[in-house]
Amino acid sequence: MEQFFTTSEQIQNIIKGFNLTKTLFVSSIIIGKPNIGKKSLARYLFPEAPLVSGKNQEEVERLLQEVDELIITDFEKLSNQESLDLDNKRIIATANYIGNQQTIDNLFAFIYTLPSLKERPEDTKYLRDIFIREAKATLMITDNELSTKDIPVDLSDNSKTLKRTIYTHLIKHSMTRKDIQEAIYSYILDHLNGNNEYKEHLTLYEKPLIEAGLKKYGSQLQLSQVLGINRNTLRKKIHEHRID
Amino acid sequence: MNTESIDFQSFLDWDNSPFILFNEQSKILYLNNSAELLFGYVSKKELYDLALAYAPPSFGHKTTTLSLNYDSFTFYAITVGYENEEQISIRFYNAPRARSITPMKKDKLVNTDINLLLEANIALFKTKNTNTLQLLTDQDLPSFKLDQNGFSKLLRKTLDAFRSSDSIRITLKLLVGEHVIISGKKKAIVQLTIEANGRYNNTDDEIKLLAEQCYTTFLLKENTIKLEIPLIQ
Repeated sequence: MEQFFTTSEQIQNIIKGFNLTKTLFVSSIIIGKPNIGKKSLARYLFPEAPLVSGKNQEEVERLLQEVDELIITDFEKLSNQESLDLDNKRIIATANYIGNQQTIDNLFAFIYTLPSLKERPEDTKYLRDIFIREAKATLMITDNELSTKDIPVDLSDNSKTLKRTIYTHLIKHSMTRKDIQEAIYSYILDHLNGNNEYKEHLTLYEKPLIEAGLKKYGSQLQLSQVLGINRNTLRKKIHEHRID
Repeated sequence: MNTESIDFQSFLDWDNSPFILFNEQSKILYLNNSAELLFGYVSKKELYDLALAYAPPSFGHKTTTLSLNYDSFTFYAITVGYENEEQISIRFYNAPRARSITPMKKDKLVNTDINLLLEANIALFKTKNTNTLQLLTDQDLPSFKLDQNGFSKLLRKTLDAFRSSDSIRITLKLLVGEHVIISGKKKAIVQLTIEANGRYNNTDDEIKLLAEQCYTTFLLKENTIKLEIPLIQ
């Protein structure tokens, strides 16, 4: 069964409203930014209801004739909103935005706005933990030493970027020397052409080496000793790779 | 025509216009059924003072056109009369109420617990507003037939008019002793009152339209909205 976790009072009121009207024939719409759990919420509340996307207008029209309980996602994609008859049916729609306020007002009895993840720090924390567990299982990372507290929280596109950052971070940090070599191999295989390619691809190795070294050792003097190269050579390379 | 032996009282009793007879000390000597309902909304003193203010200068009867409003009662004229020093009467003329002429679409009506719709709408209101609400409802109201979607829209719009109000009080009750005639049958009335320290009135036209579509009588006042819903079973 679909789960939906929230500590947001606003969403708890939305759930309460839905639970009260679960048996009634009313039309409701959940509006909010992409990737914030609108569809999951609708599925969690109405696990048995058929689900159709507004991208598929014909299918929406067909189902509205046939069933009296329906989840319509991407409602903003429907171009025939005005002509829909949602009366005497249990309709749960989700939309990323309101196209025409008056139309939405006329069609729906309950118009809920779902807050985005930025407004729900507690929910974000919970989701992040779920995504980390899921990503570790998918990527088969058994290394418990791998720290997850440094994974940045990117909510620019809500759960989508939150999830993507976790996966890329975990992949980057769990790579072995062999994985890295293989990654560079594939990259070079795809990109090698021209007449100055040795120097061009040396960046792949030199830039991260110097950047990581500077972060770890702080001074150029110390780093030149660690790397075993001349201080002037190091300075030249820093300039070449435009490292701050 | 000799009418002395005819008892007119029952005709007066059942007159839809409120009629009250006071003595000279403002005591009520007689009132008809309609006046009894009116006293639910206005004090005896106020009506007695009104009778004195509009009394004819000497014995006789005088009709004055004026606009009076007591809750859902609206009158367009009163007649005050006295034929001796001991008794004074006042009669109120009901202003016609706007009534929807849309024929009732019975197929849209579904047996509904109105409390569910009200609570769900309060939950919706709370997702957008932090105002405190006081709800006084009759949980024993029987289920009755409603256009669930249409009536929910009406509730949403009505509550929305109070989005910035303080001390919002919502009362849902069965109106005792009042009826509405629908398709020739007497129906009880469920009254929903929302009152606060003020409200928005920019959506009053939409509220009116939605109420008419739900066969609901409305009263839109400065701080109050009253909806009278026929209890159709």
